[in-house]
Amino acid sequence: MHPFQYERARNAKSAVSTVSRNASSTFIAGGTSHIDLMKENVHRPDLVVDVSGLPLQSIAAQGGGIRIGANVSNTQVAYHAEVVSRYPVLSEAILAGASAQIRNMASTAGNPLQRTRCPYFRDTSQSCNKREPGTGCAAITGINRVHAIFGASEACIATHPSDMAVALSALDAIVQTQGPRGNRSIPFPEFHRLPENTPQLDTVLQQGELITSIDLPTFSGRSHYLKARERASYAFALVSCAVTLEMDGATIRRARIALGGVAHKPWRTPEAEAMLAGKAPSETLFREAARAAFANAKPLEHNAYKIPLGQNLMVRALMETSGLLPLQGPAGTALASSAGGVAGIIPLTA
Amino acid sequence: MSALLSAPLQIGDVIADCSLPDGSRLSQLRGRPVILAFAPEAWNPAHTYQSELFAQILKDFDEGATFIEACTDDWHNFDTESDLAARFGVSGKRALFLIDEVGILRWKIEVGSNEIISLGEVITALETLKAKPQNAGGISRRAFLSASLAAAAVLSLPLSSAQADPQMLKPAVAREQTAPPAPYETAGTIPVTLRVNGQPRKLQLEPRVALLDALREYLHLMGTKKGCDHGQCGACTVHVNGERQLSCLTLAVMNQGKEITTIEGLASGENLHPVQAAFIKNDAFQCGYCTPGQIMSAVALIKEGRARTDAEIREAMSGNLCRCAAYPNIIAAIKEVQGGVRAV
Repeated sequence: MHPFQYERARNAKSAVSTVSRNASSTFIAGGTSHIDLMKENVHRPDLVVDVSGLPLQSIAAQGGGIRIGANVSNTQVAYHAEVVSRYPVLSEAILAGASAQIRNMASTAGNPLQRTRCPYFRDTSQSCNKREPGTGCAAITGINRVHAIFGASEACIATHPSDMAVALSALDAIVQTQGPRGNRSIPFPEFHRLPENTPQLDTVLQQGELITSIDLPTFSGRSHYLKARERASYAFALVSCAVTLEMDGATIRRARIALGGVAHKPWRTPEAEAMLAGKAPSETLFREAARAAFANAKPLEHNAYKIPLGQNLMVRALMETSGLLPLQGPAGTALASSAGGVAGIIPLTA
Repeated sequence: MSALLSAPLQIGDVIADCSLPDGSRLSQLRGRPVILAFAPEAWNPAHTYQSELFAQILKDFDEGATFIEACTDDWHNFDTESDLAARFGVSGKRALFLIDEVGILRWKIEVGSNEIISLGEVITALETLKAKPQNAGGISRRAFLSASLAAAAVLSLPLSSAQADPQMLKPAVAREQTAPPAPYETAGTIPVTLRVNGQPRKLQLEPRVALLDALREYLHLMGTKKGCDHGQCGACTVHVNGERQLSCLTLAVMNQGKEITTIEGLASGENLHPVQAAFIKNDAFQCGYCTPGQIMSAVALIKEGRARTDAEIREAMSGNLCRCAAYPNIIAAIKEVQGGVRAV
């Protein structure tokens, strides 16, 4: 690991000031993703500013919604009674990711900031434009079965690994930040960016800009997260799907759908969302919407399977959210979000 | 051997010709800038500060340059007071010297044997030199692109028996055999106080030391296991303020003021914790390597009180891998303790 100096932030302002003035410095909070990448020599900061002690640790009512402090742990969010009852998609997404130990450590702000799991990004002997801009992308001609089918560029085909971020995108959460030039509010679907020619930038955050909270807007509808992975638990998504449905009686007033594991950011599906508005839930409708959502997918050599997998997963997520199929477990739990059974012992019933 | 220089080398000095550890002469490298690096330990790519420093220098300045590994094959034969180190006045220190194509010393840095040379400092210095116009006597970018790096490593720390190959050491190397150096005791340490199993423990650590390594290598609490070291196996699970966490994915320095419990702190005296007893009774392990992590995770799971069914327990224990696949017995042990049946 590259040696570094360590500072404990006294307050948010001084942390922002320090990190914004030093390009080789970084914040650290939970550290679960960061320290891993520092061990791999992918992240090599000279100065690490520990913001985990800053008082951004509460979940509170905010307007009609909820404000989640940046340092609230993933566990606290997932099991918070208001989140479980009003935003089960978020609980399910968080509990579908990582392990109990990691969720106890990982922070609200840190989870959406985790870097891609593209193996070429994490292997410093491989070329990677995200790790070292200008060196090329070894994944494009390599083994690319876990890579993007939407929004990729010649420079980068990585996907974003966070489950939580997919749910936050479908909820249109707001990221509140404090930067060297003041505060701003960033709608979650605009928080992450596509790789284009600068894949080293995962988000729109500036150097030294600190997330202070993530706000969930008011929402009264059904929501659900469903995730397909290579083992039943403790694995990153091949494809995942977050759904929020707001109903007018028996018809869908508004649907929001975000896909995980398919792009450099949580991938919203405006075409599919528009097709559902004003219609009654049905498998036929959901199939059409899924086809529309994946119509512009651009598979690589090894990841074309994500198109049928993603379409089927999306249909099932919509069916389960609308009540046409039962959830696989209680709403807001990990069992509800697992599309492949639980640790290999529960057979699929859907 | 040759005489010591009468005064420390100054920037602008012409460096007299001398032999390099590989038997070549410094003068043979004229015509291109040369970096002479002195490191007080083995040239060892596992020593990240060394490999990163050199790799970065090479990456930024080479393009076709050859890295003359002057010392990698036979450097163990060097005397701690090597001719070359003495010539440059840096015996026992870490140092870098930058000599330009006509043999003039352009930049140098030397630090104590317990400090590291900051990469940033080196790069900044190199960038500065690179920017100088050629006619000002600086090193041109073109010249830098063909720079070669000659690394001369000099042993200055006493070798522990584990590191030393007696066949390769000249008697002079062993002149000051003292206690072997503590692991990681290399650079920029800071005082860190951890509270482990109820006891305050004062340590002097580099900030990059993970909590896991602090527990194992410094406090010699070997019960907490290093499996993958990347948060994928759960073998390093400990309790931090009562919550199960992975000690490999957090820095020791970040855990000051927190209550850390390891597997060693679970039993009270000779009385095993009920989960420990239940693991034995239910044969919940085979090789045992993952067991401390499994037990710490299971204790926390029971306290969390959320997982009751087999499926819920499996899901909640999915962060602890068992290569021997003792999973059914681990679940049985957990359920037994949850059911209040005291294991015997």
